[in-house]
Amino acid sequence: MFDRDIWQEIFNTIKKNKLRTFLTGFSVGWAIFILVMLLASVNGMQNGFVSQFNDDATNSIFIRPGTTAKAYAGFEAGRRIQFKNEDLEYIRKSFPEDIEYISARYYANVSARYKSETGSYPVQGVHPDHQIIEKTIVTKGRYINEADYINKTKVAVIGRKVAEDLFDTEDPLGKFVEFNNLPFKVIGVFIDEGDDNAERRIYAPVSTYQRIYGNTNDINIIALTYNPTYDLTKALEFSGRLEDLMKRRHKVSPEDQSGLFVWNYAEAFDDISSFSAVLKAIGIGVGFLILIAGIVGIGNIMVFTIKERTKEIGVRKALGARPRQIINLVLLESIFITALSGFIGLVFAWIILALIGPNIETPAFSNPSVSASTVITATIVLIIAGVMAGLIPAIKAASVKPIVALSDK
Amino acid sequence: MIEIKDLHKSYKMGSNSLHVLKGINFRAEEGELVAIMGSSGSGKSTLLNILGMLDGADSGEYTLDGVPIKDLSETKAAQYRNKFLGFVFQSFNLINYKSALENVALPLYYQGVPRKERQEKALKYLERVGLKEWATHLPSELSGGQKQRVAIARAMAAEPKVLLADEPTGALDSTTSYEVMDLIQKINDDGNTILVVTHEEDIAHMCKRIVYLKDGVIVEDKKVKQVRADHYV
Repeated sequence: MFDRDIWQEIFNTIKKNKLRTFLTGFSVGWAIFILVMLLASVNGMQNGFVSQFNDDATNSIFIRPGTTAKAYAGFEAGRRIQFKNEDLEYIRKSFPEDIEYISARYYANVSARYKSETGSYPVQGVHPDHQIIEKTIVTKGRYINEADYINKTKVAVIGRKVAEDLFDTEDPLGKFVEFNNLPFKVIGVFIDEGDDNAERRIYAPVSTYQRIYGNTNDINIIALTYNPTYDLTKALEFSGRLEDLMKRRHKVSPEDQSGLFVWNYAEAFDDISSFSAVLKAIGIGVGFLILIAGIVGIGNIMVFTIKERTKEIGVRKALGARPRQIINLVLLESIFITALSGFIGLVFAWIILALIGPNIETPAFSNPSVSASTVITATIVLIIAGVMAGLIPAIKAASVKPIVALSDK
Repeated sequence: MIEIKDLHKSYKMGSNSLHVLKGINFRAEEGELVAIMGSSGSGKSTLLNILGMLDGADSGEYTLDGVPIKDLSETKAAQYRNKFLGFVFQSFNLINYKSALENVALPLYYQGVPRKERQEKALKYLERVGLKEWATHLPSELSGGQKQRVAIARAMAAEPKVLLADEPTGALDSTTSYEVMDLIQKINDDGNTILVVTHEEDIAHMCKRIVYLKDGVIVEDKKVKQVRADHYV
């Protein structure tokens, strides 16, 4: 392998057939370039999808009540289901092992006023756990805490846009805003990676809002995150159990699809990963087909080289070269040309991705890049491709009869 | 050194079979310098191919230095060729992108001799053929006689039992031919066994023994008084 004589011979043949080697090498380099670009694009698509979702914790489950579509347990169809605080407590107690964080959401709309500035914003009454479930990033002040919840204090965490609208350049922390004429103290400002709309939102303790709206204990949505160590199967199994339990509790038929909804991010993630897996497979498939064209090209040049060197190979055999040594020589040459040109394609693709990749940031496509595993796979593929390209010519070379060295034609 | 008993060889030409060698019996002792003569079609090339293990016989025995040569695999044949035989070709067959030194070192490479040792040995043999100063030159920079001398050095480098020369002077003018024959004689003087295939009478008479082949049989086998080539040089 690291024999100087072998390399000398390889470089000599390449030197003698510069253009031919370049043209065939180009086809392999181009194939690898396309393969890497395709894989990077799939990767970019996947990144895009993931970033669409990542304003929420990826292990979150949302439970939403609906209207029953089937008569069940003595109730007629068309009954509206309403969640209460007790539902949340019940879930918490039923799955102590599975649940990481849990929070209610109580939806309201307020018209807010600070000095002369006014605006209408959605308010979500939540538990302190909600910050983690929604991945809310508090940039100033703090989020709602347990004391706020227990004391039902009138505090609010406002989105960045809300703060801009109402306070302009003023520091909103500690100021009082009127929500439907009730004063709320601003305790924090948050941003959301997901989208600007989320930053037009206001969070307040759910208990506070339930009291304001007639001492109700209704809640709109239960949001929770499950044990992050769960894999997809376990997560789906857990959301199944959760759904069964809630349906039983609210006397909804197990077959009823609209009585209540359990929405699991893992499921959506699973769909995305299988979608991008298919795309990846297509990318690899197309890349390989192009690569085959390149391999055939290299095989072709090798056959020509062997034909030209028939006499030389005959002489070598007369001097005592074993068939294996001839095969090794041809294979190594083929692998060398394939690997070198492939690497050039790889590096080229890599440079382009490194230059433009980080600048691409659209909702469905972001930061296309190649991973180390792609590079390693491509390398292995190239070596195998080189062997395949060289195999037939090598066997042809090894079968050259040494008699040709004697015949003077 | 070489012993051949009742050697037959025929080639299939479509439906016909061409009987080329029809029972050759031949012995060559160590240190002999034998010329094999014959017109084209006499079977001398086929005999050389079989002696050189480049082709197999149909029947008969071939023993080289006490080793029976029969039913060799490609790999085995390559090893035996490397160990037992040195080839000198009419058209030199030097590898054109390798220097004279590297050409001479090639059989040693296939013997698995380490690079440094290989080069020292190759240089020694180049010196013997008087081309030490040309070691780094490519074949294209050498004259015909020099090329053949490099080829002889290459054939000798592996220290073979027998040197097989197929028309070694066929592509050379007469002066150069005698130079090459002078070299072959000197190598023979050192005790090496050499077989020279030729169709030139004067070249044949520079050997010690001439074997005439005709239509696949040996018609004459005589010892001759060797004409020293250095008279002509």
